Amino acid sequence: MTLIQAVLYFLREAAVNLLRSWKTSFVAVLTIAVSVLLGGVFLLASHNVMGSIQRWRGEMRVVIYLRPAADLARLTAEAGAAPWVASATPVSPADARQRFTKVFPGLSGLVEGWDEEPLPASIEVALRDPSAQSPELRAWIESWRARPEVEMVDDDREWLGQLETLVAVARGIGLALAGGLLGAAVFTIASVIRLTAYLHQEEISILRLVGATEFYIRGPFYAEGLLQGLIGGGVAMGTLYGLFRLAEARKAASLLASVLTSDFLSPGQTAFLVLLGGGAGLIGAVASLRRERLDSPG
Amino acid sequence: MIQFFQVTKRYPSGQSALDEVSFDIPRGQFVFLTGASGAGKTTLLRMIFREEVPNEGQIVVNGRNVASIPESKIPYLRRTIGVVFQDFRLIPRKTVFENVTYLPRILGQDLKTQKQVAYQALRRVGLAHRLNAFPPELSGGEQQRVAIARALINEPDILIADEPTGNLDPDLSREILRLFLEVNLRGTTVLLATHDRDMIHRIGKRVLTLDKGRLISDHQLLGTEPPRLEIPSENSPKPAGEPGEEPAP
Repeated sequence: MTLIQAVLYFLREAAVNLLRSWKTSFVAVLTIAVSVLLGGVFLLASHNVMGSIQRWRGEMRVVIYLRPAADLARLTAEAGAAPWVASATPVSPADARQRFTKVFPGLSGLVEGWDEEPLPASIEVALRDPSAQSPELRAWIESWRARPEVEMVDDDREWLGQLETLVAVARGIGLALAGGLLGAAVFTIASVIRLTAYLHQEEISILRLVGATEFYIRGPFYAEGLLQGLIGGGVAMGTLYGLFRLAEARKAASLLASVLTSDFLSPGQTAFLVLLGGGAGLIGAVASLRRERLDSPG
Repeated sequence: MIQFFQVTKRYPSGQSALDEVSFDIPRGQFVFLTGASGAGKTTLLRMIFREEVPNEGQIVVNGRNVASIPESKIPYLRRTIGVVFQDFRLIPRKTVFENVTYLPRILGQDLKTQKQVAYQALRRVGLAHRLNAFPPELSGGEQQRVAIARALINEPDILIADEPTGNLDPDLSREILRLFLEVNLRGTTVLLATHDRDMIHRIGKRVLTLDKGRLISDHQLLGTEPPRLEIPSENSPKPAGEPGEEPAP
């Protein structure tokens, strides 16, 4: 028997077994699907949040708020001279007030009617490399904080970094959870395969009796685990895509939905998750039969 | 063809299943293996197709020492041995065709070849017309004939039967025995375990008798009622031996 013939035989037998014992197979497929779906949700969410963070990072500024007596033009020129600065834009108190009124029209009353400008002048510094974290850059920012003309320095990248850490932790927890569930799915599939092997022990004994090799006897069970896993992975990806489209439809109404639905997983990531399900199924099948002497004749 | 040299089998409990058993069955011989229940008949048969391994001694089947062949080679040994059991061991949910074609499928034969060899094997046992039946639709005798067809499908060198008539009435038993004799006429070595002494005396062949794991007798019997056999008309690739004529070693 050639390898192709053997594989076709394994798949045919596995498909027949799946259909015959569809209730137990359904449980195994469901556990795989839930695990892969959970992993997919975390992967998709972190992928999109990280993408948003990268986009935001490109727009991040270091904002230097000045005290009233400070010389805006001179300090702007000084800030713009640093080698890591792409541009330094002066924002006068009047400009700041106009911008506030434009962005928050409902709150415009807060900044209107003052004798003096209520908002401070500031310098918006765009960095050449927004993700740069060199000690020199940090020292430069700290030196601005220490200057008497400076009220405060707001480095947007600090909270973005904290958000990034939060997302990474959430992704780690999510993937660990998905990994745990996948382990449970492997155990379920192993139980299902063991049950199937038990139900077929008479046939296995005949196969062994007439001279079937271990590869030939175990192959259909391995194929069954693999198929269960692949189906589970496929169901998970289908469900994930459905959820993605649902969230996408709510994009306009929800900031969270808009953040989470900028991109679906790439074909490579989708294939990886489906294959992860298949791999879990195969591992379950191999583990279930590893110590089994699949019955014996006589 | 089948040689046992001082074969001893002890179970972990210390109970001895076979005790220094030696015999030699030449190619083409028909041999009865008899003894009371628990005498060691089944253990002896299982050793021939390497389902059991002796603690001491050597077993040579078809020139191969089965006690020492590696696990990976056991399937290839078994493909040269047909085995028939008292309880038929057919899969009820599979058709007669599917039940007899396990080995052709393992060997990767195409469906057309499988149908040809299945038809030939079933014709030898008179069941070619029941190719698509399921075992529960068949009588006990027919089921045993299907099991024999399964054992014969690859023209094995050796046919082993463990109480093949134990579940059948006397008429069906005669019919099944007749099949084994016909198979033997085509040159296949047959070793048939039974405790039906009437059948053995009626047929008259070489008889190995076990008692509590020891081979207590190895002799040739002249049958009181030898069956009239028709030599199968199919072209046999094997030369017919002279069953029952060989002297016991």
